[in-house]
Amino acid sequence: MRRRTAASKGRHPKKGVALPLDGEVIHKTMTDKKITFKIKRQDKPGSPSYWQNFQVPYKPFANIISCLMEIQKNPTTKAGKTVAPVTWDCNCLEEVCGSCTMVINGKVRQACTALIDNLEQPIALEPMSKFPVVRDLQVNRSRMFENLKKVKAWIDIDGSHDIGEGAIMPDSDRAKRYVMSECMTCGCCIEACPQFSLTNSFMGAATFNQVRLFNLHPAGSMNKEERLDAVMGEGGITDCGNAQVCVEVCPKNIPLTESIADIGRQTSWQFIKNLLVK
Amino acid sequence: MTKPAKDEIHYILLKLHSLTGIVPVGAFLVIHLSINSLRTVGVWPFQLAIDALNNLPFLILIEIGFIYIPLLFHSLMGFYIIHVGKTNMFRYRYQRNWLYTMQRLTGAITFLFLIYHMGTTVGAKLWEGKHYFEAAPFLIDILNGEFQTWQGILIYTIGIVSATFHFSNGVWGFCVSWGILIGKNAQRNGAIVFAAMGLGLTFLGLATVLEFNMNPVSVEATG
Amino acid sequence: MMNRKKKIVIIGGGLAGLALAMKFCERNGEVTVVSYQSLKRSHSVCAQGGINAAIDAKNEGDSPEKHFYDTIEGGDFLAHQPLVRDMCFQAPAIIHLMDRMGVAFNRTGEGHLDFRRFGGTLYNRTAFAGATTGQQLVYALDEQVRSNIHDGNATALEWHEYLGAVLDSDGICRGAVIHDLKTDEIYTLPADAVVLATGGPGQVYGRSTNSVVNTGAAATTAYLQGAKYANGEFIQIHPTAIPGQDKLRLMSESARGEGGRIWVPRKADDRRDPNKIPQNERFYFLEEKYPLFKNLVPRDVASREIYDIVYNQNMGVDGDPMVYLDLTHKSREFLDNRLGGIMDIYTKFTGVDPRDHPMKIFPAVHYSMGGLWTDYGPDQNGLIDHGSPRNQMTSITGLFAAGEADYQYHGANRLGANSLLSCIYTGLMMARGIMNYTDSLEKSVDDIPSTVFDDARNHWKTRFKEIKKMNGRENPYQLHQELGEVMLANVLIVRDNKSLEKATDEINDIETRFKDVKCLDTSDWANPSPSFINQLFCMIHLSKIITKGALLRDEFRGSHYKPDFDLNQPKDFDPHEYIEYLEQKQYGDISEDKFPAGHLDYMKRFEENNIKWLKTTVAQFKDNQPDITYDEVDTSLITPRPRKYD
Repeated sequence: MRRRTAASKGRHPKKGVALPLDGEVIHKTMTDKKITFKIKRQDKPGSPSYWQNFQVPYKPFANIISCLMEIQKNPTTKAGKTVAPVTWDCNCLEEVCGSCTMVINGKVRQACTALIDNLEQPIALEPMSKFPVVRDLQVNRSRMFENLKKVKAWIDIDGSHDIGEGAIMPDSDRAKRYVMSECMTCGCCIEACPQFSLTNSFMGAATFNQVRLFNLHPAGSMNKEERLDAVMGEGGITDCGNAQVCVEVCPKNIPLTESIADIGRQTSWQFIKNLLVK
Repeated sequence: MTKPAKDEIHYILLKLHSLTGIVPVGAFLVIHLSINSLRTVGVWPFQLAIDALNNLPFLILIEIGFIYIPLLFHSLMGFYIIHVGKTNMFRYRYQRNWLYTMQRLTGAITFLFLIYHMGTTVGAKLWEGKHYFEAAPFLIDILNGEFQTWQGILIYTIGIVSATFHFSNGVWGFCVSWGILIGKNAQRNGAIVFAAMGLGLTFLGLATVLEFNMNPVSVEATG
Repeated sequence: MMNRKKKIVIIGGGLAGLALAMKFCERNGEVTVVSYQSLKRSHSVCAQGGINAAIDAKNEGDSPEKHFYDTIEGGDFLAHQPLVRDMCFQAPAIIHLMDRMGVAFNRTGEGHLDFRRFGGTLYNRTAFAGATTGQQLVYALDEQVRSNIHDGNATALEWHEYLGAVLDSDGICRGAVIHDLKTDEIYTLPADAVVLATGGPGQVYGRSTNSVVNTGAAATTAYLQGAKYANGEFIQIHPTAIPGQDKLRLMSESARGEGGRIWVPRKADDRRDPNKIPQNERFYFLEEKYPLFKNLVPRDVASREIYDIVYNQNMGVDGDPMVYLDLTHKSREFLDNRLGGIMDIYTKFTGVDPRDHPMKIFPAVHYSMGGLWTDYGPDQNGLIDHGSPRNQMTSITGLFAAGEADYQYHGANRLGANSLLSCIYTGLMMARGIMNYTDSLEKSVDDIPSTVFDDARNHWKTRFKEIKKMNGRENPYQLHQELGEVMLANVLIVRDNKSLEKATDEINDIETRFKDVKCLDTSDWANPSPSFINQLFCMIHLSKIITKGALLRDEFRGSHYKPDFDLNQPKDFDPHEYIEYLEQKQYGDISEDKFPAGHLDYMKRFEENNIKWLKTTVAQFKDNQPDITYDEVDTSLITPRPRKYD
């Protein structure tokens, strides 16, 4: 294979420039432009929050994360005070892990897909308000994960040994499930939900979506009633106010309101069944 | 079920809130506005209808059982729901979010309006002891008076619009919560149908107000 | 025998860690999963295209044996063959298991699993869930583990960092030192075994397709504690990614598996709208050079060709180092259904819709074939004994490694869609061995004096105290960026000894400057600075392993391409000639005239090179430097031969 003449002559490009991996090459047009940030900070849970302003050099295609990384490299406020670098959560940086949710210019979204060129300056960054703040832009979303346990968001398998193929399923059902299963527990739907608060017990759209996802699976549907029971109480499906902001802010375009309505239907039947059949 | 009873009660209460909004409260609204709109046809059919209602056997029990208790329940649960949520319509300016806030606002307005409305009509009627055929002339006189002032017209206009909005948007909410409208298109189409229904009801109500205002006619008790 | 449940600590909540956690719980063990952040967010979610299993759903005559061959050839014969064979034979069962757990794999008209093509094979062998297969697999395993956590069989320590292994006086691993990233507490977790399922080291290169947590710090710490690190120099460069300021975002190989074509305008610096360039003015260079595999040559080959087109032929799009990856000939519906995830990523990060315009892409650091050296236990037939305690054990007894953190499955170059398989396979396979390992120990962890744990904890407490006291002039994040730049400039697709030597000097320079680092934040709540400085320390050592391994390995194998040592395969060479040559050699009658001119010479060079270099690189920490030795590779099943994809 390979190693044709040309490839074998491969040399490094000129020193200092480098690979486009560096991003610099496509971003030839460096300017003196600055990006201004207004960041809401909080040192620890319960301590008062405060705002700090930062400036970082403008680079085309920059996103919120790359700017926060710049702040790490030079943690100095606009006023010239050296401070501890801003802390935030992130991991994959391509909107599949769900870590970097924050409130950017007043709206909740993933910081990795928030490109600077599309944002009005100064860019205001705040932690989500519906979860307890850990530090700066970091919040504790464990409530969402606890809800996954409450609704048994899993399929009860007999064991992980080889017992042959899974159930046959039409691709259209698979497609329906796939969209729902892209939920990355990022918390956008919850932050934007007027019914969800720090102190109440509302489960939020993401959880109802999980119930629907697993109830749709041939094996998962065997525990359908348990899951429905779990959302038929305080904080459950009846606490949804149908403001439908969840579906507007969902970065994965999950049909959350469809899931909510479907769980509404399933629980209603379950309720009637409980009333008349059992 | 092993769930705490509290959860079950919570579920039932909220489901009932949703249901009572349709029947009997919503249904009553539709009937009430429809019957009142008879006034636009003439004062005589209107009086006939009031006579009929006021001569129902066990009227007070029917009113308490089918209107006042469900209405009170719906209202109290409604205030609980308002208390639980916190609007963010200025931050997230989406149509549905606006409607969400409006639903709560119109619920509260309608409640206040009903206190006023019932106080000046049913309340007065009971206070003065005007029953059976005596009710109609008494009530018609009160209404004739109310609709001659701009304050009265304003209060009724706000009240009627709030109630019809709350009802028609509420029917949509009912259909979503109970899983009657599931898909995105179904929900949108439903919203259009219920909006049309709401406009129709509003028209009925406001036409009645207008008729009272332009044509205040007193009547004698039947019989 | 102990009267209690066996306890293991798994570091990492990706595919390998979760698969093992599930299996170990199932075998009635007790599991603690330690994760740098919430479970469900590990880097495994970034895997896009799919997972391989030779189920032969398309009636093409595929079989696990062929999967095995493709994997070994794709890895340029550097992987231990019995293990890879076992993995390929387990693959169908793994896919069925994942399907049963609810993964939304795409399906055929009859409702069975659908498969697509990937690089380095001619068969449709890759099961997939849209273009977010990794995410879907992680979620399915996470759900199973979550169910175990719910039932009390497992515990998750999220927002905790692994600092090091607790080693007793015999050098046996008896637990892990853990750092609570919120409270800043450092403590030990005693365990019967510790498993590092901590993923790859992409952050050593600054920007790569890897996630932020992929610093390789856990594996490096093991190396610093005496474990062997193997094949570090084999870093996979994925041919197709979008450049970005904070990371390079992967555009899955499945884009080509579903018909995506790579091209550049035939005329250099042709600035026309790509959609307006007629077919005959497009240079589909992979298709022309590799008429058999076309755009689906293995990743090392594709990356080299793109590099060549862009830097040697100067034919990059608009004069920039990028080529087109074109899917515009496919319908929107098809693309949304099968590649929706990456279509969205491209649109969101570039503002251009790849359904209408060809994507502009370039290679990026993606995966480490190398990792912690791990063992395996063959049975008397030379195949894998799943119950062997040696399986996946590092050179530190009681410390295991799994997934990308180990080195055993991909040789010198990994085939696409094999990484998810190797992660899940190792996780599932090793559970029984660990159970048996704990039985085989003379002393249980319960009999280890508490001073062993105190010492380990105090060591790390002191270390972090010292880090917090660092108050020099260097910004650790800046230093990290510079380290990445050194690695990107010198230890990438095309390597030569001069640059590698230069890189070594530059890394040493960075190591010196590291001593002058400033700990930017000394608070004791949710403070990432000290951890990052510790990780940077590890990354510097890891970069030394990679660079030294690359410098010493004077050959061209898989992803490790040194043009100076290219054996220059003749254009018309057929790999079967080599088998014939070996046979002739065995019978002592090599007939020169049987082979085309120059072929025999080439084959002799090839054979010689293999004798010298078909070996595992093993790095051990000695005098602050990696000490490199070479181990034999188990090639007992398939005779190593020259690779060829055209």
